[in-house]
Amino acid sequence: MRPVAAASDPTRHFFQPIIVCLTVASVALTLFVIWISLHDLSLMRAGREKFVGLDNYIRFLGDPRAMAALWRTVLFTVLATAIEIALGLAVVLFLDRDFAMKRLVRTLLLVPIIMTPVVVGLTWRFLFDPATGMANYLLSLVGIAQVDWLGSPRIALFSVLVADIWQWTPFVILLVMAALESAPTDPLNAARVDGAREWQVTWYVLLPMLRRALAIVALIRAIDSIKAFDLFYIMTRGGPALSTETLNYYGYIVAFTNFDISYALAIAIILTVFTNVALLTMYSVLFPKTGDR
Amino acid sequence: MLNRRNLLMLGAAAAALSLAAPASAEDKPFNGVQISVLLEGHPTTDAIQKMVPEFKEKTGIDVAIEVVPEADITAKELLEFSSKSGRYDVVQNNIIYLPGFVKSGYIVPLDDFLAKHKENFDKADFVPGYFNTNVLDGKVYGLPVYGESTFVMYRKDLFEQYGLAAPKSFEDIENAAKTISAKTNKQIAGITMRGQQGIQSVYVWAAYLWGFGGSFFDASGKSALATPEGIAALDAFTKVLKDYGPVGVANFGWEENRLLFQQGKAAITLDATVNGAYNEDPAVSTVVGKVGYVPVPMKSASPKGGSSSLAVHSMYVSAESKNQEAAALFAAWATAKEQQLKSIETDPNSGVTSLSALNSDSFGKRYGAFKEGMIAAINAGNPQYLPTVEQANEIINNTGIAVSKALAGTASAADALKEADEANNAALAR
Repeated sequence: MRPVAAASDPTRHFFQPIIVCLTVASVALTLFVIWISLHDLSLMRAGREKFVGLDNYIRFLGDPRAMAALWRTVLFTVLATAIEIALGLAVVLFLDRDFAMKRLVRTLLLVPIIMTPVVVGLTWRFLFDPATGMANYLLSLVGIAQVDWLGSPRIALFSVLVADIWQWTPFVILLVMAALESAPTDPLNAARVDGAREWQVTWYVLLPMLRRALAIVALIRAIDSIKAFDLFYIMTRGGPALSTETLNYYGYIVAFTNFDISYALAIAIILTVFTNVALLTMYSVLFPKTGDR
Repeated sequence: MLNRRNLLMLGAAAAALSLAAPASAEDKPFNGVQISVLLEGHPTTDAIQKMVPEFKEKTGIDVAIEVVPEADITAKELLEFSSKSGRYDVVQNNIIYLPGFVKSGYIVPLDDFLAKHKENFDKADFVPGYFNTNVLDGKVYGLPVYGESTFVMYRKDLFEQYGLAAPKSFEDIENAAKTISAKTNKQIAGITMRGQQGIQSVYVWAAYLWGFGGSFFDASGKSALATPEGIAALDAFTKVLKDYGPVGVANFGWEENRLLFQQGKAAITLDATVNGAYNEDPAVSTVVGKVGYVPVPMKSASPKGGSSSLAVHSMYVSAESKNQEAAALFAAWATAKEQQLKSIETDPNSGVTSLSALNSDSFGKRYGAFKEGMIAAINAGNPQYLPTVEQANEIINNTGIAVSKALAGTASAADALKEADEANNAALAR
């Protein structure tokens, strides 16, 4: 760890008050949320709130819809993160050579990240339209019958996944490319001089150098995938037959369709705890204490 | 610093104000009052926005209108209501929320205000079905801004081509859908309806539910969807859509469904009466003049209610409003017949709630093709079409999951509805 001489650092006069303010705000809000989640508060039943203890949390454990949503969140997060990292890395290795229009290609890669998720969702909704969408048109060229991308409970989650991958793989590319460009080239050349094949150079020298960058990108993408909402909202609204309802989306439904605020907050807290545990586990795997400088 | 000269000027200004005030105070008692109004994105709202300067001219009330999509409006209202912010004086919403709003004390009765401002309020001019849904325990809580019903739209040209008569029963619908789908080799979908999980599919499926003799609740107020009638209704609904509907129908909302029919790619659809305005609009439709409009069929001899919806959206006055009288005056003015008549001219508003607007020449000219079918559907409209209890939203949501599961084939109609009943009863018990 970098030594921080906080006591002698004059900038502490700026950051310390801010840290205190943010800490107080987040602790107060968290406590308030926990307090409400221990009540039975519904916007449609004003004036009839009551303290119910852990009822909302017990209700969660016995709620099959919530459990299915939790499982779907895990599935989506794991798939989205893994595919985006693998795909992003592959593209970076492919782009890691000099060719004409490299800058243009890199700029074009940024387009999906810049688009707002709502626009991405609407775009993919149109592409996946079974009758008039581009996806089925392309399939029809090779003689494959219409696929019901968003209307089939077996496919819908993966259709949303495709849109997520399309939007966020460029983010992985961007960060990994930056890491690659700041990496020293001497070890690579040394390996080549020693007679290593190109795949060996990549696997044994290049990838270990990119490990930290990849791990950080994976963490960021995992956090985002757990929270993913916009694409689901625009593309499927959790349907058909609940096949795309993630825990985050279920919490939204409970809060803003059923107006069951306390239960929604209990779901939010469970999701937060779950996310933190998962991410801390992931962090300790990716950055083991030993060997970390 | 307040020196003598400033003081003199202030005095002069105050004198000028006090001189000017009485003159306008007599004919405009609300001069200077400002109210804030939350409305749904809808042709009616567009029309009202255009007319608001006239209201200010007439009453002196300043109106600030905020427009949000219908899907988001309830949550927004409830957040403001429950925090007692008084942010909005007038809000608009579907009448299915009225009982919850009243019970929670979020909105106030309007009777006294309406009695005071008779010039803007003519009860006899409202479509009775639309107006009566706003009355609870003998008190008027809302004024209907727009309303609609559901009816069956079918392609007269295709029906003629294949020797089919106008559909009068659910069997006719299925038979016609089957014939046209087979004869056109599925190039034209036999039928299209909304299948998207949630309110979308429930709104349309409710036509089947009531038409087959079912209802949302039994006599004791418990959820009763998994009755023989309810199960038969869900089976029939999913069968026609699965066998003769378009690909992707399980994710169709209002828009997808409307577009498909408008483009001439489906022979029948069952949807809101407002769709008629789109079918007959040459700018967006390829089926102008080719569509027939008939009421939703009734299968049961002893129905619990009509199979046509009565969807009404009204304006309510917030209990936290500091200018309740001005707010009620605005609601009355915005829903009065003069404004409704004008709204037909300025915007594609076929959902008027005023009888004189409905019977006007301009309405007939613009919407004559489906006017008769629409009025028949409204007259047969069922105000309990969607559940109107406090937990309406949650019940619609649970029912939508059942419809979606049956449509996707992940559960049988009976199992899906049984599950919905359990979830609904749990919600009702909370």
